[in-house]
Amino acid sequence: MRDGTGLIVDDEPQIRRVVKNALEGEVARVVEAATGSEGIDLAAAEKPSVIVLDLGLPDMPGIEVCREIRKWSTAPILILSARHADQEKALLLDAGADDYITKPFSTLELTARIRAHLRRSQNAQASLGPPQPLALGDLAVDLAARTVRRDGEPVHLTPIEWELLRTLLTQAGRTLTHRQLFNAVWGRSFGDPQQYLRVHVANLRRKIEQDAVRPRLILTEPGVGYRLELPR
Amino acid sequence: MPRTLPGWLGPWHRPLPRWLLWIAILAAVTAALVRVRGDLDPAHLTLIYLLVVLGGSASGGRPLGFVLACASFLLIDYYLQTPYGTLAIAKGPDWLVLVAFLATATVATQLLARAEAGAQAARRHAAEIDTLAAERVRLIAEAEHAEALRQADRLKDALLASVSHDLRTPLTTIKALAHDIARGGDERAAVIEQQADRLNHMVADLLDMSRLNAGGLTMEPEINAAEDLVGAAIQQVSGALHGRELRTDLAWSEPVLVGRFDFVHSLRILVNLIENALKYSPAETPVDIGVARQAEWLALSVADRGPGVAPSERERIFAPFYRPAGVSPDVGGAGLGLAIARRLAEAQGGTLVYAERPGGGSVFTLRLPAAALPEEEIGALDAGRSL
Repeated sequence: MRDGTGLIVDDEPQIRRVVKNALEGEVARVVEAATGSEGIDLAAAEKPSVIVLDLGLPDMPGIEVCREIRKWSTAPILILSARHADQEKALLLDAGADDYITKPFSTLELTARIRAHLRRSQNAQASLGPPQPLALGDLAVDLAARTVRRDGEPVHLTPIEWELLRTLLTQAGRTLTHRQLFNAVWGRSFGDPQQYLRVHVANLRRKIEQDAVRPRLILTEPGVGYRLELPR
Repeated sequence: MPRTLPGWLGPWHRPLPRWLLWIAILAAVTAALVRVRGDLDPAHLTLIYLLVVLGGSASGGRPLGFVLACASFLLIDYYLQTPYGTLAIAKGPDWLVLVAFLATATVATQLLARAEAGAQAARRHAAEIDTLAAERVRLIAEAEHAEALRQADRLKDALLASVSHDLRTPLTTIKALAHDIARGGDERAAVIEQQADRLNHMVADLLDMSRLNAGGLTMEPEINAAEDLVGAAIQQVSGALHGRELRTDLAWSEPVLVGRFDFVHSLRILVNLIENALKYSPAETPVDIGVARQAEWLALSVADRGPGVAPSERERIFAPFYRPAGVSPDVGGAGLGLAIARRLAEAQGGTLVYAERPGGGSVFTLRLPAAALPEEEIGALDAGRSL
């Protein structure tokens, strides 16, 4: 896989070193920026295939850097955060970030996340959307025919459950915030039914997971949203 | 504002004695004037009565003034103007004197009453201004206090953010480098990584405790499914299970149990309870997680087969920096876990309690406000339309 460029935006040289170690196995070249504005310039000049961005930058808020880069780049953006607030994670994902990782993180975890995002973005470039029909363990989902089968038996989903599954599946591997799921399933208007999003997810899990309290497909990102993991 | 009177005047300040006093004065004045009525000019007589009317109305207000004016009019006419002993008037100008007296007494009474009303209003305004001034002083003091608190809060938040960032950045480097070295086979590096994790845990606990104390942790209660919370907790502890069995007791045939609680903080409580249960119970025994609806509560329980908690310790375990007797300080965190957990439960209207487990062990029960699904929502969930 070793092609493409990785960009690290962080003012701490030690953290840049750790992230560089993690990136080097996944991309051919790593470039580093110590400030937000330098990061934006490098992102424009180098067109990296993955960006690791620290939130606590000296010259501008990390979320602004993320918004700016997201205007013209589709490269996965991973946020490094030492912050103690989960609300901020949701804000970051809403601002266009693909993932976040809280300090202190393990190199293994960082590498795994970088690899997953690189693979997802390469898949997205190769084909628009996942292959049809999809086999998720014992579950077969046909997005075109709008059918779900488990061990060959049809699974009955409510329209909301179907929309949830479709939305999570088309962006598999990516954490979707509650807001992003609301918008995808109910449209942009906000109202009462949306507060039951988590109840719909629980019901969907009962229908498609083997064990709803040990889900393998739809994973909870506490305080942020949900992520669908495709089985390896 | 009530006027203060000398003690001996006290009773005369009440309406009835005051009226009696002035009627007595009027009678006394009349009796005195009857004796000298031949020597005095009618105009002089009316002036004396006018003084009585003015005195009465100043003291008893408009009604007393009017009564005294009318009574004086009749008394002057009857006793002091010729012919005496009748209400008839002998000379034309005497009428003029009487009418002038009545008019003057009435107008004077009226003016006095107005002046008194004005004075009363002024006294009321003065009192209101006094109250407002005191209120203003209090509000200014409160605003200054609130501003000082806000400033202290901002400072504290900045300090917490800075401590959090400054401590975690070196921890990240230590952990990552130790991890790299451990991969080379050096076991000591694994210990460094483990201790970095422990330190991070303690920093997080201390930060949370100080935020809880300062009221700086915000709660975001939302409708959440119990099994989502249990699932997230299991997901979070799965890395530290090392083969331990975690059993869940959920009734799949029943509708999803829901509550209105803050997911992140409730998850923190549940994970803490599960980690404690794993830590303080024998490796071969399972840890049981139960979910039930109990009246207005959603009850989540974590039960183990550990040694349990002695009756004398059952409340102390929720105190900050508690450490069970005989447990080495090298094990675990800062002893803040259960204290934070209980505070987090209470901050969202819930409770966290300990109970002895029948057959041995401990049961910690987290109760959170339950929520009911509205009819139409249950309808939408149950519709199960085929796609």
